[in-house]
Amino acid sequence: MSVSDFANVLDGSRVVVCCGSGGVGKTTTAAALAIAAARRGRRVVLITIDPAKRLADALGVDSLSNDPAPVRLDGGAQLWAMMLDARGTFDAVIRTQARNEAQAERILNNPFYANIASRLSGSQEYMAAEKLFDLSNDDRFDLVVVDTPPTREALDFLEAPQKLMNFLDHRVYRWLMTPARGGLKVLNIAAQPILRTIGRVIGADVLADAIDFFQAFEGIEPGFVRRAGAVQSLLRSDQCRFVVVSSARRDTVDEAVYFTNRLSERDVTVAGLVLNRLQPSFGEGSAHSALSAARAAHKAGDETLAALQENLAHVRRVAEAEQAVIAPLVDRVRGAAVARIHQRATDVHDLDTIDALGREIIG
Amino acid sequence: MSRLLVVAGKGGVGKTTVTAVMARASADSGLRVLVVTLDSRTGLSELLGGRATDGTTYDGTTIHTGLGPNGTGSIHLRTITASEALQDYLATQGLARLAKRLVASGVVGVVSSAAPGIDDLLVLGKIKHLVGLTGPNGEHDLILVDAPAAGHAISFLQSPRAMATTIRGGPLRSQAIEVQQMLTDPDKCRVLMVTLPETTPVNEMLETTESLRESVGVSFAPVVVNNVDVAVDMEALVAAGESTARGSLPTDDLMRAAEYRAERSALHRTTIERVGQISHDVITLPHVATASMDHDDVVVLADLVRGASPKRSRAKRPS
Repeated sequence: MSVSDFANVLDGSRVVVCCGSGGVGKTTTAAALAIAAARRGRRVVLITIDPAKRLADALGVDSLSNDPAPVRLDGGAQLWAMMLDARGTFDAVIRTQARNEAQAERILNNPFYANIASRLSGSQEYMAAEKLFDLSNDDRFDLVVVDTPPTREALDFLEAPQKLMNFLDHRVYRWLMTPARGGLKVLNIAAQPILRTIGRVIGADVLADAIDFFQAFEGIEPGFVRRAGAVQSLLRSDQCRFVVVSSARRDTVDEAVYFTNRLSERDVTVAGLVLNRLQPSFGEGSAHSALSAARAAHKAGDETLAALQENLAHVRRVAEAEQAVIAPLVDRVRGAAVARIHQRATDVHDLDTIDALGREIIG
Repeated sequence: MSRLLVVAGKGGVGKTTVTAVMARASADSGLRVLVVTLDSRTGLSELLGGRATDGTTYDGTTIHTGLGPNGTGSIHLRTITASEALQDYLATQGLARLAKRLVASGVVGVVSSAAPGIDDLLVLGKIKHLVGLTGPNGEHDLILVDAPAAGHAISFLQSPRAMATTIRGGPLRSQAIEVQQMLTDPDKCRVLMVTLPETTPVNEMLETTESLRESVGVSFAPVVVNNVDVAVDMEALVAAGESTARGSLPTDDLMRAAEYRAERSALHRTTIERVGQISHDVITLPHVATASMDHDDVVVLADLVRGASPKRSRAKRPS
């Protein structure tokens, strides 16, 4: 498997989704892939989720704008970048789907909506998917590269549209919303023991806001469901490629294997694997051979050589342990492009180093 | 000493490992430690020396007893989820039967989305209850919480204040106010931030710290810098290699490996100094030459924590 397969991943798709657990360098990898694709002549837009401040500065993205802004790259490479604004995206979806302005306003001004848009588990993932769908249909761009939120369940991203649908469709609310006899929506909170309890726990006014929200939302669901369906079919089409990002630690590797398995249950294959922050092993020899050499040098009275060999043995021991940990993952994604990226002496947070990282991934 | 330590940090910094190390170090000093996790799948139980299934329930499992110089130290691990905390809470309100129905019908999920933060508040409410039971006559001396990752840790700890504003009355409002009081009382609660000895993780740790200080008003325990390469005098080794042997070395890999570690350990040193300028107390945990931490590593690191005084930036290297 040659590393240049990453070029095929970038050249032959409309959407590239980067997934992995938190702290593995996912955002940086997504940015590196986006630059690499732009260098290959594609018009690329990068969606980042909560990047570290210096990376955001380097890309020129800020949380104030929900629209892509051009990134200054030399050599005519065309790259845009944006930071996902989940709330702004959600607002835009509501405005598009609402029957009229009044309905949109009623929803947008509901305090319960504010909670859902910003904090409901899965809403950030869903909005990332929404934005991705939106930009993949934008004529300015050939390719959308997206970073995913650092969720424990990385697959949330793929399932978020459905999850949100389930929430909006929850039978408790269905039941709440069922018109009473005579077609009038009578919601007598005090009459229902469950509602009384909920009201007692969370406060009657919070509950009233929630009920008002679901009432205002009526009639929008079909549009939402259609949209969610379209987003899901794009994510599952062959125009969308998944790249798994991992470090060489047992926990992140386990997570990546789990994610790969869940994807293949849905007939989605991982197109690329980026292994970040690997400890270099310095040469072909083993830790064991370096340690033997250290002992020999020590016997011969060459303490400097002995210390150097001991240090080489130490770094190789770490590299060997890492190889053992990543082996099952590499095996699991057989057929995918694999990039092994070594630990750098310093952080990657400016355009030049991200650019260099992109070249290293492409090989 | 505070009775509650909330361990927080960005994903990938080793928060769970540090929780296990701090728990072990405290128990080895004779304290009865309760470790609380919100997610039973983090591998915390194995790091503490238990089986995978230990501590995955609401009531939890005692993993160790008889630790410490006088055999008084112990470690108990329990998993507190929002839905169980809600059932528990409703039971204390005399609504035990209804609680079962609410959970069975799936209403709980919708309830907690009706006012996001309610789930976090219920978990913190339970923890507050447990903190009330600590002390000489109680079951435990210290409670350690493996908090959610950074962004979530902020909303987790903000939840009482947020709920106190959202809910205008009732028992849950009083609960929110009491939890908030506990969080801001340094004699009761402190947050222990975990970070890595590199620029970006440290920046993010400082941002989270500032945000927690301002929006929640918590106090802080020492910062733990995890995974530090404590190679001693690598620069000297590089210099010795340069001056005496470079030409005659069997392979250039030797010098490249030494230079690599010299660079890494120098970066780590300067980063730790930077943390030290901002935080009063810094505890460093050395990098362990493995890709998967286990219980034995935790015990070794716990010994280092007990032996090392705060701000000591050069811990002994575990062999």
